[in-house]
Amino acid sequence: MSRLYDTIEPNVIDEELLQKAVEEQGPQEELGQLAKREGIDYKDVLELQLDFRNILKIDNLWQFVNLTKLQLDNNIIEKIEALDSLVHLIWLDLSFNNIEVIEGLEALVKLQDLSLYNNRISKIENLDTLQELQVFSIGNNNLTALENVVYLRKFKNLRTLNLTGNPVCENEQYSMFIAAHLPDLVYLDFRLLDDNTRELAEIKYQYAIDELKQGEAQALAKLVEEQAKQKELEHHTAAYVEYLNGSFLFESMYAEDTEAARLAYLPGMADLLETYKSKFVLICENLFAYGLKEHEKRQAEVSTFYECLQEAIQDSQQQGTKIILDFENDNQGLDVIQNMSNFEIADFKLVKYNEDISQLSDTLMTLEMQTVDQLEEIIKDFERNIADQVSTFIENVQGMMAQCRDLENHHHEKLLEIAINTLEKIVKSEFDEEMPDDARLLFVDKDTIVNAVNASHDIHLLKIDNREDDIITKANSWSSSVIEEVHKNEISRNRNRVREINQYIDHLQEELDNMESLEQME
Amino acid sequence: MEVLRENGEHEEEEKKVLVISNELQDLEEKLSRIKVHIPNVVPEFDWNSIDTSQLPASYKTNSAKEQMLLQLADNFHRQYAHLCPDRQPLFLHPLNECGVEKFVSTTVRPTLQPYPELYNWDGCAQFVSDYLTMEPLSSPITPVLKEPVKEKAKKYAVKPPRDLRSKFELQQVSKKEADIKAAQKKKQKEEEEKVMEAEKPTPDPLYGLRVHAWVLVLSGKREVPESFFIDPFTAHSYSTSDDHFLGIESIWNHKDYWVNMQDCWNGCKDLTFDLGDPVRWEFMLLGTDKPLLLLPEEEEEELADEDLDDFDKEEEEKGFDMPPSWVDLIQISRKEFETRCPQGKKVIQYKSAKLEKWAPYLNSNGLVKRLTVYEDPECVRVLEVKGWFENREDMMNMRQLNKKTEVTTEYFSPGHIQGLKAHSYKTMEPETERTMEFYSETRVDGLQKRVENAKEMTEYFEGRSDFLHYRHTVFGRRTKRAQMVLINTELNARPIVQIKEQFHRNPEKPADEDVAERIFMILEGRIMLTYHCKDDYITASKKEFIKWKDVDNKGNKVIMTSDMCISYQVGSSVKNKKLLHLYEMMLKLMEEEKQLRHQVWESETEVLEILKIREEEAAASKLTVSMYDTERNEKSRQQRETMERLMLEERQRQVEQDLDYLAPFLIQMGSTEKMSKWQALRLKEDCLNDFKHHLIDKANLIQARFEKETQELQKKQQWYQQNQLSMTLEDEDAYLTYCSDAMFRIRILEIRLNRHKEMAPQKYIELEEKLCKDPRLTEYLKFNV
Repeated sequence: MSRLYDTIEPNVIDEELLQKAVEEQGPQEELGQLAKREGIDYKDVLELQLDFRNILKIDNLWQFVNLTKLQLDNNIIEKIEALDSLVHLIWLDLSFNNIEVIEGLEALVKLQDLSLYNNRISKIENLDTLQELQVFSIGNNNLTALENVVYLRKFKNLRTLNLTGNPVCENEQYSMFIAAHLPDLVYLDFRLLDDNTRELAEIKYQYAIDELKQGEAQALAKLVEEQAKQKELEHHTAAYVEYLNGSFLFESMYAEDTEAARLAYLPGMADLLETYKSKFVLICENLFAYGLKEHEKRQAEVSTFYECLQEAIQDSQQQGTKIILDFENDNQGLDVIQNMSNFEIADFKLVKYNEDISQLSDTLMTLEMQTVDQLEEIIKDFERNIADQVSTFIENVQGMMAQCRDLENHHHEKLLEIAINTLEKIVKSEFDEEMPDDARLLFVDKDTIVNAVNASHDIHLLKIDNREDDIITKANSWSSSVIEEVHKNEISRNRNRVREINQYIDHLQEELDNMESLEQME
Repeated sequence: MEVLRENGEHEEEEKKVLVISNELQDLEEKLSRIKVHIPNVVPEFDWNSIDTSQLPASYKTNSAKEQMLLQLADNFHRQYAHLCPDRQPLFLHPLNECGVEKFVSTTVRPTLQPYPELYNWDGCAQFVSDYLTMEPLSSPITPVLKEPVKEKAKKYAVKPPRDLRSKFELQQVSKKEADIKAAQKKKQKEEEEKVMEAEKPTPDPLYGLRVHAWVLVLSGKREVPESFFIDPFTAHSYSTSDDHFLGIESIWNHKDYWVNMQDCWNGCKDLTFDLGDPVRWEFMLLGTDKPLLLLPEEEEEELADEDLDDFDKEEEEKGFDMPPSWVDLIQISRKEFETRCPQGKKVIQYKSAKLEKWAPYLNSNGLVKRLTVYEDPECVRVLEVKGWFENREDMMNMRQLNKKTEVTTEYFSPGHIQGLKAHSYKTMEPETERTMEFYSETRVDGLQKRVENAKEMTEYFEGRSDFLHYRHTVFGRRTKRAQMVLINTELNARPIVQIKEQFHRNPEKPADEDVAERIFMILEGRIMLTYHCKDDYITASKKEFIKWKDVDNKGNKVIMTSDMCISYQVGSSVKNKKLLHLYEMMLKLMEEEKQLRHQVWESETEVLEILKIREEEAAASKLTVSMYDTERNEKSRQQRETMERLMLEERQRQVEQDLDYLAPFLIQMGSTEKMSKWQALRLKEDCLNDFKHHLIDKANLIQARFEKETQELQKKQQWYQQNQLSMTLEDEDAYLTYCSDAMFRIRILEIRLNRHKEMAPQKYIELEEKLCKDPRLTEYLKFNV
């Protein structure tokens, strides 16, 4: 109520406010001086306190990407927003604000402690992603429905819940209901849920809870099943043979074929279609099995290659590490040189050290060149093997698809024959079988029926061609992407290594230079 | 045909083998067989060394049956000598310790011992071998035969190295090297062989002339898969095809004696051990219990028992059976069993080594075993001494002293204070060379090893949550000698020059934030950090902090400047982190340096403490006694004795209570305080009379029942004879069952009556004796007699 008479203007989060807060809450004394001199990066700030500042709107916090604790309590915030970049947040305090709806918290997946105490919230919602939630305070709000609390069952880590001061608390079943529905909860409204209450609650709500559990279990089972299915389909898709283990392709051929439905009324068509389908599906299944097998082979090839590649890289790395270690062990005497009284010897040593550094640089670079050569060779081999594998695969797929096409052609001829025979019979009025008018319309003259049959045939062929193209395109693009990735990785590896060597050599050189300049100063 | 195993033995020892293997035999379900041959030369033996006065009569005389057995044996031997004139005389009936001839089989008496360790052959054999002491005999032949040994040594001369030239230079070089190496190896090997040959025992002049007794365990029972030999002196088992055993003359157990009729040209390899085969094994006694291997065990046992019981009756039919053993049951007290060897001490001499064994608790310092290794075969120059301890309060289980390096190493079982596992040192003086190992899992700091010398201390850790695994400290000299006071405070500790710590990789941190090594150069005021190597990189990030002066030349306070930290950051072009962070880091490191110095001082203090404790423990050398050891543990023993006494008293009390035969008569008499002699006599008479009546009543009762049964049976028989013709089958059956039942009852009653008649007078006399001794009556009755 006091806010009604508040004369202070609503505030926004701006640069000045943030700077001030950071400085106030940042390092103090000597460290503070240093910090002030250097300036503080917002991304280094881990905790931020913005309470009692009359803030109306959350804004400008996106720079604090590493923030783990944020206090925005005792402001006049009306909407939770602009927090999406604070993904490391563990502790968020939004108590004593004017929030009406829980929203905008989806990105804060690490959140463990959330306080929305003393707001105007009437429903618990939109928290599904906060699976780490342990402490949740939503007291002094407008929660009215006890059933809404069941929503909190999905937070397996939730141990402390505060609901005091909500209308829902007036329900006499309140604590029993919650004890029964949130079995892992330890503290409710700052009080320990004792075993006695829990037992009583369990007995009281046993039926409801069992039903709930059953529902949850079913949902879970369904989810698992769906995931498994999805996974299998993904596996098939990766092998480019999705939906080929059945009549899917065959049915899709007929799905867009309007003529086929009418032609199906021709005498003997049912048998013909049946045999055609079974043969077609058999080929599809062969193709499916072959596809999976080839996929496995490709995977094996790739993993073998990467294994060997890693081994080679590791080997080279170990050699490099050893060279550097040897160098460092040999040149530990730099400090000794520095303290040496005889300048001549010291100078000599320095010169030698200089030589050693360039020697080291050469050795490391040579090693890297050698590694690059070695790797290039095996990458070439790999490229060739993958290309071979893919082309064999494509050839075989084409072969099987040709079989499909043959079947279709064969079927087409048969169909045409039957159609013409039927037409002749109709013309001669010998045809006495039942046929819907729709189909009968086709048999006006030869052109019409032949066109219809041809159209159907074309659609079928197109479907088969499309599927074939699909497989071939995918296989080709896979092969090129795999090779590309290998090359890319190798190039970046090589660049990193060269940069590392240069940087290290620079560092050594710099050290040496520093020493020399020191000496000169002396 | 004889066997070589040891350097000869004494007859007395053979006896021991036999006697002690008795229990082994029993444990092996009488499967073992022992063979001994009478030595050609029976050495003189000091018979007076055995105290025969305590031995039972069976040791000193032969029973009629034993006498007969000896005659049988003589007869057997005569026939044997006649049939096999070129074989050794049989070992049939040597003199026992009382100078009496006893047949060997009767010296064996199977006895079950109460120690689970003796249940299996290996534990049993180990005990026997520990219990026996080897006393070599003087050689019966003069040692002139030894001479040819020296000639033999020349056979192993070193061969000249081989010609190594080869066509290709490279090949040549490598080949040469390889060949030189090979030649060296060969030379070394040959030299070793030479030494070995020189040290080899001289060929035995008595090869094939020796006799020895050992144990044969036959396969079959107790899951023994195949027959094997046990050498009683070493407790080692040997296969029956072992080369050491040249042949078998004869075998016996407590039941019979078998002579081997098989050819032993190939040692014992071809022998079959089916003792039921009369062609291969000539038995001496024709018993019914021939040990056919297929005979079931129980049956055999029973037969043996029956034989003993019904011996007199069936002698003629069954032939002669082995008389029961004349020796006492072997009794091994718990103490003797633990002591193992006589006097609890045993010395075994090996080539260049000596092994001494003691019983537990015999030595006050807990020493149970000591191995002394010598440099030379003559055992003069000591190389190494190893001592094993048991039951020490300080948990020390082994001490090793290397005479060459003068290093003593002590090993401890888990449970010593500070988790000490091993301690090797030259002197107990602090700040000298020493290594202490610890049971790291029992220590909070995970310390596994601490190596020290005058200037350095290295500590190794295991399983620490901060991933520290190595800490190396270099000490400087103490500045002032005067400060070498005895009080150890952190102030007068040795100055620390440098501390180096190494850490394992902490997988939770990124590699270039995870410190691998940090060196605190305390005197120079520098701290060097090396981080772990990132994946795919070959260099590790580094930081070096230099603790500059606190104030600059203008007198302003310096907080942190960029030249106070030299850093090399792998894979990042950003030269330095923010000064703020570096400063924070440095402050933290300085704080840690302070703590580390304290830690090092604490380590030193701990060493001093352990040394002090070790000195105290070594001086005290106390032994622990298990609370279950009721012999040695004073408290437990008292408790046990109290319990035993209480039980005894309880039992006595109960006996008295149960059988107060005088009580009813005492009540009749009224006052029991004072009794005249006459009254006492009267009381006794009454009691006895009462008992007599009771006995007669009982006899009458049995008699009456007996007569009743008999009469009834007679009646029934008469009835049967009268109605026999008109009876149905069922009736007849019922009658017959009744008859057999009645007969049974009558017979039982008869037996009971007879027994009662027999027992009654005895019981009467017993009661009379009891009454005479009854404390309530003795006073009055003693003058009666």
